[in-house]
Amino acid sequence: MVRLWFDKGTLLLRGAMGTPYGKWDLRVGCYRIKALNYRDVLAYLKESGVSFEDYVQQLPPSESFMSSVELRGYQSEALSRWRRAGMRGVLVLPTAAGKTYIALKAISLLRVQTLIVVPTLDLLDQWRTRVRECLGVEAGVVGGGECSVRMVTVATYDSAFLRAEVLGNNFIFIVFDEVHHLASPSYMQIAEMYIAPYRMGLTATYERIDERHELLPRLVGDPVYSVDVADLTGKHLSAYSYEKVYVDLAPDDQRVYDREMAVFRNYLREKRVVLRSARDFQRFIMMTGRDRGAREALLARNRALKIALNSEEKINALARQLQAHKDEKTLIFTLHNDLVYAISRRFLIPAITYQTPKEERREILECFRRGEYRVIVTSQVLDEGIDVPDASVGYILSGTGSTREYIQRLGRLLRKVKGKRARLVEIVSKETVEVRMSNRRGRNETGGKSKGAAK
Amino acid sequence: MIWPRYAKFSSENLEVAERLISVYEGSIGKKKKILKAFVGDLEDTGFDYHFVRGLALLLDRRSVFRCRDNFDSVDLRRKIFEATGKVGPATTAEKRKQVIGNVALEFKIPVEVVEEFLYADLDGELVMVEFDPPSPRELLEKYNLSLTQTLLFESTELRFRASANWQRIFFMVKRLGLIYDAYVDGGFWVKLDGPSSLFKLTRRYGTAMAKLLPAVIANEDWTVEAKIVWRYTNEICDFRIESRKHRELFGFKQLLTSYDSSVEQDFASRFEALGSEWHLRREPEPVMAGKKVIIPDFSFERGKIKLYMEVVGFWTVDYLLRKMEKLKSVNVSMLVAVDENLACERVANLGRRPQLNIIYYRNKIPLVPIIRYLQESFKEVRSEQEEFLRSLSIKFTEPFVLFDQFASRIGVSVEAVRAVLNEKTPSGYIALPNGLIRKDTLEKIEKRIDARLDSAGKLTLPEAARIAEKEGVEVTSALEALGYKIVWHGIMSEKAEVIKPQN
Repeated sequence: MVRLWFDKGTLLLRGAMGTPYGKWDLRVGCYRIKALNYRDVLAYLKESGVSFEDYVQQLPPSESFMSSVELRGYQSEALSRWRRAGMRGVLVLPTAAGKTYIALKAISLLRVQTLIVVPTLDLLDQWRTRVRECLGVEAGVVGGGECSVRMVTVATYDSAFLRAEVLGNNFIFIVFDEVHHLASPSYMQIAEMYIAPYRMGLTATYERIDERHELLPRLVGDPVYSVDVADLTGKHLSAYSYEKVYVDLAPDDQRVYDREMAVFRNYLREKRVVLRSARDFQRFIMMTGRDRGAREALLARNRALKIALNSEEKINALARQLQAHKDEKTLIFTLHNDLVYAISRRFLIPAITYQTPKEERREILECFRRGEYRVIVTSQVLDEGIDVPDASVGYILSGTGSTREYIQRLGRLLRKVKGKRARLVEIVSKETVEVRMSNRRGRNETGGKSKGAAK
Repeated sequence: MIWPRYAKFSSENLEVAERLISVYEGSIGKKKKILKAFVGDLEDTGFDYHFVRGLALLLDRRSVFRCRDNFDSVDLRRKIFEATGKVGPATTAEKRKQVIGNVALEFKIPVEVVEEFLYADLDGELVMVEFDPPSPRELLEKYNLSLTQTLLFESTELRFRASANWQRIFFMVKRLGLIYDAYVDGGFWVKLDGPSSLFKLTRRYGTAMAKLLPAVIANEDWTVEAKIVWRYTNEICDFRIESRKHRELFGFKQLLTSYDSSVEQDFASRFEALGSEWHLRREPEPVMAGKKVIIPDFSFERGKIKLYMEVVGFWTVDYLLRKMEKLKSVNVSMLVAVDENLACERVANLGRRPQLNIIYYRNKIPLVPIIRYLQESFKEVRSEQEEFLRSLSIKFTEPFVLFDQFASRIGVSVEAVRAVLNEKTPSGYIALPNGLIRKDTLEKIEKRIDARLDSAGKLTLPEAARIAEKEGVEVTSALEALGYKIVWHGIMSEKAEVIKPQN
């Protein structure tokens, strides 16, 4: 008799039979197969007409849903494309286009044990709430110190990765929110170590600079549906404008900035170091471990950048903006935590960083939703995910220069509310490298700007 | 080859360690951010910053940081944010002053305290309350261990051998979800990776292997080899450390033999008190059984004979039978000591199964059946060896043959050699208790001794020894074979006299 087992994120085929999906494992003396190929192996065994016993699945108890999800036209279209593709594939939709609802609809139709994988704890909370509202069941949670597995379970990428050995055979359907994360070398193991035959990936930013998104078709399925901001702006997404406010560095700051940058540039010139790509820069960072001069040059650059990114003048400019638009629901984004706390102290507004206690973070977001708080300042932790429909103004005080970060921050403002017109404002120090960073992130955004924005 | 930049115990490194430790000691009662600024300065002023940062990280783990007092900063902030939620962000100095002032009134604390405690729960604001200082050398040793573990995070496979500690090692291997492959190659080696390693090189199990490292190197003798994927280039590099050369770096004290239970400890001490010829060894090297490994609790060794014993805790009949099946396949003699009190089934269910070498005990492992088993096994092995010796046609040419030298040359026990050669003494030889002596040599020695006795009337032991040893024979053996006596005058052999018996 041929038997199929689950063994710590892989399958074991015991019995006098091989499979094109497996590999003979000398260490244990039987065929071993990636959990990813569960669906293929079952099909192969059935096709071959061999009788076999399947001990793979270990599912949490079934619960019944009530489904109250209604989809918009493009959402239904996306869902039916995914179903036609064999219930696998990636849906590429802008933030605020309601990706969550498509997944929830799919869960309510499939009625199987489902795992939803998300990148942040805020998203974990948000999905848990949505599952309760739309499906009428309590979601299991794996991550942030909790571990309960239920019919519908939400997990962070980290926990899903670390616990793949034990959770891998618990689910039939797996949803990857912000699926671009899945292509990283470690997280891709989630796709490989879980048996779930049905898979759905969701993202607004499919492509990765490192090209690793090309792995996604094997892990989740092909991109089966794609729509961009411009197609939905106005009707389904809120209209928005994008502007830049330039500020001077204070004279003292400018002097220090110039001096530090000179140290950095002189070093590069002397050693003929060229920094054109992320790779070049990584190599340079490695040099700093061995070469004291390189280390000093890097520290000088960091000090200069800190001045440009965190300048007092920027905070003054922000004060003027906040004063002029004080009734709007506002998000302020920065790169560094220091600046988050400086702004929080100065304006006495709530801050969210990775250091914020979980309960306080939940409370701040809840008060923001209810309108009791109108401004939140945050570093990168809120770039992805949080969902506050009537947030209408975003200030970018500093960022990394990546297009993805820009799109995600913009996405926080685009959820459609009647009469809303979103504004994304970037505050940039004049005559510093920051200008170039800012231009870099805006580069790929022009399409959306020309159609969606008045400015 | 890849090699971490281990910290040598140079005076310069020890000084950096000492300086950091004293900075930490002096930081009790101070804020973490002040400590971190110190460390940052040290990093940037002429020291290898990886090294300084690494040491500081280890010291962080020996420190306890807490929020000052028991003030609830979260509650304070809530009140402030509620206020600005109503009146809008404090975009002017007056507005800010007003909000803070109101909250200060509400909490009945001064305005400065509000400012001070607003973010007193942030990491940098926490205050050090405890620090457990290591010695500078100990800190460097910990640093070296942690460098090695960090490197192993990036490993795709680990191979090692160790002189002991096997039960703990295999217990951890199992718990960490690793797969082992054991083989013998100048020692007992274990190769480790995980289920998914079959499909591609993966660092997934690196963390688990790093966790295992301390158990392997807390041993007298070990070698560790790993394949490391170098993050920046994706190259695969070899890494190797061994106790002979690198033990110093980690300063691990060898673990004392630890016992799983007092039953085992009690048994070992009673057995050793017997002073038997069997050498008892705790946790001997594992035994290979096909793909599996058996880790006995004890081995009994005598010459070339090696027997094992395992002490079993909770058991069922099925469990014991499977164990025996495994043992049968490798042809190893193993006693299994079974606690009747811990039986999950009635002992009667086991019935009589002669092939099982089971010893039952309650509270104490009995010595008598074990000694009996050892003696029987010994006898059995000895009779096999005697059989073997008889089948040989043994010929000697030397004037004198010692049994123990001969036994170890052929690989059998002395007892077997003595028994067979006494019973079947090669012609031309005389059997003594410890060896064989050639007849003509013995006669030669007899003549010389008699001649000396006749001429001098007296012969000392050293003089007799010179005569015997010239022929390659040990003197007491020769005198014994001749039936001569030694008369001692005190303990000095110079004064001992050889006397010829009067017939």
